[in-house]
Amino acid sequence: MTINQLIFRNMKKNLTNYYLYVFALVFSVALYFSFVTLQYDPSMNEATGTIRGAAALRAASILLVSIVAVFLIYANNLFIKRRSKEIGLLQLIGMTKQRIFHILSAENLILYFGSLVIGIALGFSISKLMTMIVFKVTGVEGVASLNFSSEALVQTLLVFVGVYGLIMLLNYIFIKRQTILSLFHVKQKTESRVRKISIIEIVMGILGLGLIGTGYYVSSKLFDGDFISINSLFAAMIFILASVIIGTYFFYKGSVRFVSNMIRKNKAGYLNVNEVLSLSSIMFRMKSNALLLTIITTVSALAIGLLSLSYISYYSAEKTAEGEAPDDFTFVSTEDAVEFGDALSEQGIGYSDQTTDLVRAEVYIEDIVGADMGNLNFDGSWTSMAIVSDESVEDIDVSENETKFAGYNDAMNKLMNLADSGEIKIRGSDEEIEQEYTGISKIDVLPTFFTYGLPTAVVDDSVFERIESQADPDLQIQSSKFIGLTLEEGASKEEADEIFQSMEVSEKAGNTSQYASTQFQKQNMGLIMFIVGFLGLTFLITSGCILYFKQMDEGDEEQPSYTILRKLGYTRKDLVRGIQSKQVFNFGIPLIIGLIHSYFAVQSGWFLFGTEVWTPMLIVMGVYTALYSIFGLLSVLYYKKVIREAL
Amino acid sequence: MNILEAKKIHKSYGNKFMKQEVLKGIDISIEKGEFVTIMGASGSGKTTLLNVLSTIDRVSHGTIRIEEKELTGQKEKQLAEFRKHHLGFIFQEYNLLDTLTVKENILLPLSITKASKKEANVKFHAVAVELGIEDIAEKYPHEISGGQKQRTSAARAFIHEPGIIFADEPTGALDSKSASDLLGKLSDLNEKREATIVMVSHDPVAASYSSRVVFIKDGHIYTQLNKGGQSRQAFLKDIMKTQGVLGGVQYDH
Ligand SMILES: Nc1ncnc2c1ncn2[C@@H]1O[C@H](COP(=O)(O)OP(=O)(O)O)[C@@H](O)[C@H]1O
Ligand SMILES: [Mg+2]
Repeated sequence: MTINQLIFRNMKKNLTNYYLYVFALVFSVALYFSFVTLQYDPSMNEATGTIRGAAALRAASILLVSIVAVFLIYANNLFIKRRSKEIGLLQLIGMTKQRIFHILSAENLILYFGSLVIGIALGFSISKLMTMIVFKVTGVEGVASLNFSSEALVQTLLVFVGVYGLIMLLNYIFIKRQTILSLFHVKQKTESRVRKISIIEIVMGILGLGLIGTGYYVSSKLFDGDFISINSLFAAMIFILASVIIGTYFFYKGSVRFVSNMIRKNKAGYLNVNEVLSLSSIMFRMKSNALLLTIITTVSALAIGLLSLSYISYYSAEKTAEGEAPDDFTFVSTEDAVEFGDALSEQGIGYSDQTTDLVRAEVYIEDIVGADMGNLNFDGSWTSMAIVSDESVEDIDVSENETKFAGYNDAMNKLMNLADSGEIKIRGSDEEIEQEYTGISKIDVLPTFFTYGLPTAVVDDSVFERIESQADPDLQIQSSKFIGLTLEEGASKEEADEIFQSMEVSEKAGNTSQYASTQFQKQNMGLIMFIVGFLGLTFLITSGCILYFKQMDEGDEEQPSYTILRKLGYTRKDLVRGIQSKQVFNFGIPLIIGLIHSYFAVQSGWFLFGTEVWTPMLIVMGVYTALYSIFGLLSVLYYKKVIREAL
Repeated sequence: MNILEAKKIHKSYGNKFMKQEVLKGIDISIEKGEFVTIMGASGSGKTTLLNVLSTIDRVSHGTIRIEEKELTGQKEKQLAEFRKHHLGFIFQEYNLLDTLTVKENILLPLSITKASKKEANVKFHAVAVELGIEDIAEKYPHEISGGQKQRTSAARAFIHEPGIIFADEPTGALDSKSASDLLGKLSDLNEKREATIVMVSHDPVAASYSSRVVFIKDGHIYTQLNKGGQSRQAFLKDIMKTQGVLGGVQYDH
C-alpha cells in the first residue's frame, strides 16, 4: 500500500469526522458571506445610509469574524483530536512530522476551499432571502434585486484565508508538540482526571455566586441615578460584565462539581442509572468544561439580551405610537377633523369619531409616587396633569370621590413607581378637591400632545365639571378638546394615511396619524433589529453547534461505558433516559444561567429602548429556548446512535 | 443439575456472499457450581462462544437454556432483563467506568435491580473483603493497579449473586502475580459461593484453576479435560499436552 492509498483509506474511514468539519465550514462561510454581501449591496444604501447604520454594520461584521474564527478553531481542534490516532500511525510507519503536516495541510486545503465555494454559493442565496427580510422589517420600499458583489467576495476570501492560516499554525504547533505516544493517548489526556474536591473549589464556587450576585446588584442600580457621568456609567458596565463572566466561570468550575459531589456523597456509592450517566459524567468533565460553558453562557446571555432589547424597541414602536395617539388619527381642532373626515368620506373610507373634553390642572401626587424619583426632574408634589371625565372613557367608571389614572406603560411605571392606591388632591382656583386614587389602567386616553407623557387622570363627570369651571388658564394649551378618528374595520390605514399626509392639516402640531408614527418608529429600529437578530442567530447556532460537537465527542468517548452497562443488563431505554437527564443538564444549565444573566441585563436598562418589557422579552426568550433545544435534541439522537452501536 | 445447556450452536458473521462460519454446531452443558474454561487458538471463536452463551450476541442457529429458561429468540429487552438478574461479567479490558469510584462500579448491578441501600452496603462489604479491595473503595479506576481493577470487576460480577459468571480472558492484561492472585480468588469464590464460572482463556495456567477445560477448534469442540481429583500441577500438565496436540497459534494478544 502506498502512502497515498493509506491517506485515501484514512479519509474514507474518517468521513463522519469530515462531514462535521465541512458543515462547520460551510455554515460559517455562508453566514459571513451573506452578511458582507448585504453590507456592500447598493440597494441597502437606503437602510444603511446613515453613518450610524454603516458603523453598526461594520462593528457587527467584526464581531461576526471573531465568532466564526472561534467556532472554526474549535471545530478544527475536535477534528484533529479525533484523528490523533491516525497521525500517530503515520508517524509510526516512519513519516516525518513535516511530511504529516504537509499532507494534513493539503487535505485541509481541499476540504477548506471546497467548503468555501459551497459556502459562498449558499451564502449568496441566503443573502438574497435576507435582503427581502430587511426590506420587510425596515419597511423600505423596493424590490430585493441583489447583485453578486466582488467586494464581498474578496473580503470573505481574505477573512477565511486568514482563518485558514491561523488553523494551520495551530495544527503545526499541535503536531510539533506531540510525540508518537502522546498522539495515541491524546483522547484520554485532554480530559482532566477526577480529583478529590478541594477547599479551593468550594471557595471558588461561593466566590462565583458572590460575583454573579454583585454584578446583578450593580446592574439593578445602573440607571437609578447613582452613576451620573458617562465615565462612571461605562466603568459600572465593564464592572458588571467582568464580575458576571468571571463569576460564571468560577461557578462552573467550583459550585457545579461541589454540589454534585454533595449529592454523590449522599448516595454512598449507590448510584442509579441516571446518576451514573449524568452526575458522574458531568462531574468528570465539569472542570474541563468550565471554560466552554462560560463562553456558551456568555454568548447566549449576550444574544438573548441584545435580541430582547432590540425586539423591545420594535415591539414598543406600535405601543409608543398608540400612546402618542390612541386613535388612528388625532386632531386638536374640530375644523381639522371635519376637513379630514370629509376627505375620507370622499374616498369611501368609513370612520367614527369621538370628541373628548379635557382640562389641565395641578394634582398633588406625592403620596402615591414611589420614593426613588431622584432621576426625574420633578418632586411629585403639585404636578400639572390632563384630566378627563369618566363619561369620555368607555371602560372606566369612577365614583365622585375617586380618581383613576389611565395611559400606562412599563417604562413609566418603572420611572414613577406609582402606588396602587392613596390620597391625591386636585387644585382648582377656588378649592382643592380631595380624591381617592384607585390605580392605573393601561387604556390610552389622550395623546402625548396633551399629557406630556404623564398618565391622564380620569374623574367623575361632576368633579370634571367643577374643575373645568375653575381651571387655571395658565395651565391650558390652545385646545381643550381632541377629536379621535377611528377607521372602520377593514379600512386601509395606509390609504387613509396617504390622504392625511397629502393634506395641510397634517402639518399642524397635535394632529397625528398613528400609522405614520408606527412606520417611523419601525424604520428607525428595523435595521438595528436586523443586525442584532442576525448576530443573535449566529450566536445561537454557533454555541448550539459547539455544544453539539462537544457532546458528539463525549458520546464517542463514553461508548465503552455504554458497552459495559448494556452487558450488565441495562437496556437501551435505561441508557437513553440517563443521557436525556445529562443533556437537560448540559444544555439546560448554560441556557438557564444565560437566561438569568440576560434577564438582569434587560431589566437594568430596557426602559431606554422602549415602553414594553415583558411580552417582547418573554417572546425572545421562548424562541431562543426553543431553537437552542433543537441542538439538545440532536445530541440525544446522536447518543441514541452511539448507544445502539455499543453492543 | 445443568445450569446452562447449549445445543447445536452455529454462528456466522458477514452477509450471504461473504459468510464466515465461526461456530459450527457446538453442544455444551455446564453444571451448577462448575468452573469451566474454554480454550482454543486465537481466532478460534472463544469470545464469540462466550458472547452467544451470555446473550450479548445472538446465535445463527441452535438453542441456549440458562436456569431452565430458553433464551434464543427472546427480545433484546428481555435478554437485558435476564442478564441483569442472572449473569455476571468480567472482561479483559474496558471493564470499569472511569467516571465512577471502585465502590460505585461494584454496586452497579445492584442499582439496576433496585436493591435497598442497606442490602447493597452489606453485600459490598462482604465481596470487597473477600477480594481484598475494601481500602480502595473510594478510589477511581485510574488510581489503582491492573490487578486491583480486575478484582474490582470480579467483585462487580459476584455482588448480585448471579447464576453464572462469564469471564473473557480476565487475566489477559495482568502480570503473572496479579493473575494467579485473581484466579485464586475466583476459585475461592467458586467454592465458597457455589458460583458457576465460565471463563475464556488461552493461558494453560489460568485454565488449570478450573474444574473442566473445553477445547475448541475450527468451530467445533475438540476435546474436554476434567480435573477430577488430581492436583492443579498435574491438571496443568494435561492441559499443556492437549494444547500441544491441538497445535496452531497458542497465544493471542
Ligand atoms: N463482529 C464480528 N464481525 C465479523 N467477524 C467477527 C466478529 N467478531 C469475531 N469475528 C471473527 O470471528 C472469528 C473468531 O473471533 P473471536 O471469537 O474473537 O476469537 P477468539 O476470541 O477465539 O480469539 C475471528 O476470525 C473474527 O475475525
Ligand atoms: Mg477473544
